Amino acid sequence: MAKARAIVKRLKAVKNIRKITKTMELIATARFKKAMDRATEAAAYTKKISEIVADLSATNLTFTHPLLKAHETQTNGILLILTSNRGLCGGYNGAVLRPALARQKELKGSLNLSVECSGRRGLAFLKYQQINVTEQFTNFEDKPGYDEVEAIANRYIELYCSGKLDRLDIAYTKFESVSRQRPVVETLLPIGSIGGAAGSTATEKKIDYEFLPSAGEILEEIVPAAFKARLFKCFLDAAVSEQIARRVAMKAATENAGDMIKSLSMQYNRARQSQITSELSEIIGGAAALEA
Amino acid sequence: MADKQLQLVIVTPERTVFDEPASALRFPLFDGQIGILPGRAPLVGRLGYGELKVTTASGEKSFFIDGGFVQVKGPVVSILTARAIPTADVKRSDAEEALKKASALPGTTEQQASTKAREIERARRLLTLAH
Repeated sequence: MAKARAIVKRLKAVKNIRKITKTMELIATARFKKAMDRATEAAAYTKKISEIVADLSATNLTFTHPLLKAHETQTNGILLILTSNRGLCGGYNGAVLRPALARQKELKGSLNLSVECSGRRGLAFLKYQQINVTEQFTNFEDKPGYDEVEAIANRYIELYCSGKLDRLDIAYTKFESVSRQRPVVETLLPIGSIGGAAGSTATEKKIDYEFLPSAGEILEEIVPAAFKARLFKCFLDAAVSEQIARRVAMKAATENAGDMIKSLSMQYNRARQSQITSELSEIIGGAAALEA
Repeated sequence: MADKQLQLVIVTPERTVFDEPASALRFPLFDGQIGILPGRAPLVGRLGYGELKVTTASGEKSFFIDGGFVQVKGPVVSILTARAIPTADVKRSDAEEALKKASALPGTTEQQASTKAREIERARRLLTLAH
């Protein structure tokens, strides 16, 4: 009886786990939908910004902004890594940390690099790797707020403009489509170009805008706004990708649990049957012994 | 021209707050108030802090806008701002706290001083709308 009992116990445990992973899958799906909606709503802002930038650049003016200019000597750098607060999301965190670590090794030689990290998972990993984390955030869940991101962005802008920061890299999971997310390491500062996809506007009829105050001054203001929007998008992308990764991982776990239940119940049935057979043969054997 | 309508779109980095036809609007630019009526010439401008008043078919609406940009293109007016809070939701306590925080900012360098002045200005505008 001992073996059958043990199998029953395991079967129950696996069934419980399947229930949990199934629920987590559903939760991740719901969160993913919400995060996705937020990301698409946020895209409207970025689109408008690049539209205005395109309008402005049509005026053919040259301008400079401290955020656009690369510093001559590169001494201080920051690497920001976006990971998740919770586990159970498959290879999500590992996939971000691998290229991030490679970049960290590459930059460490030439720069005075400080590493900043968002998410408990990444922090735990970096602690294990004995990498010093100068700034840590654990307040970003599936709904990163613009206010929180803006505070971080403002700090970077101030550091960069005052010359205390020469380069900002960010490692996160870029959301490309529902079925495709890619871990990337991007350089956010100095900003390469704020135009983005401005090429398509060339065919449109040119509109003669009135600029208040002047095109140059508006551009000066729009550069930090574009940077903030870009950083915010990184956080949103990471949040969406995390939920997708979790959903996929939980789906796989649920399927695995299902397979396991199948094979365990088969094993249990076999064990039960052989037990009955052996009991029967014992009884028959006993009876035969008495008769003889 | 009189029966023409404006389409006002308020976008924040988080979401599109408002997307409705309007017949007139008033809001602060970097140097003072501006009013926009249907048929306005194309415009790109920098916003200040303060109250945005919209006249729509269902009455007057009001928001606190927190800097940003405005683009007028044909009948569409796009307002890009970091935050757009319906005036009814602006709390006096929050505004007072913002003012206190702004006043406590360091103002030793030129850059810090200008940031401080801007923050104080913003908090004061918020306070005038608070209730």
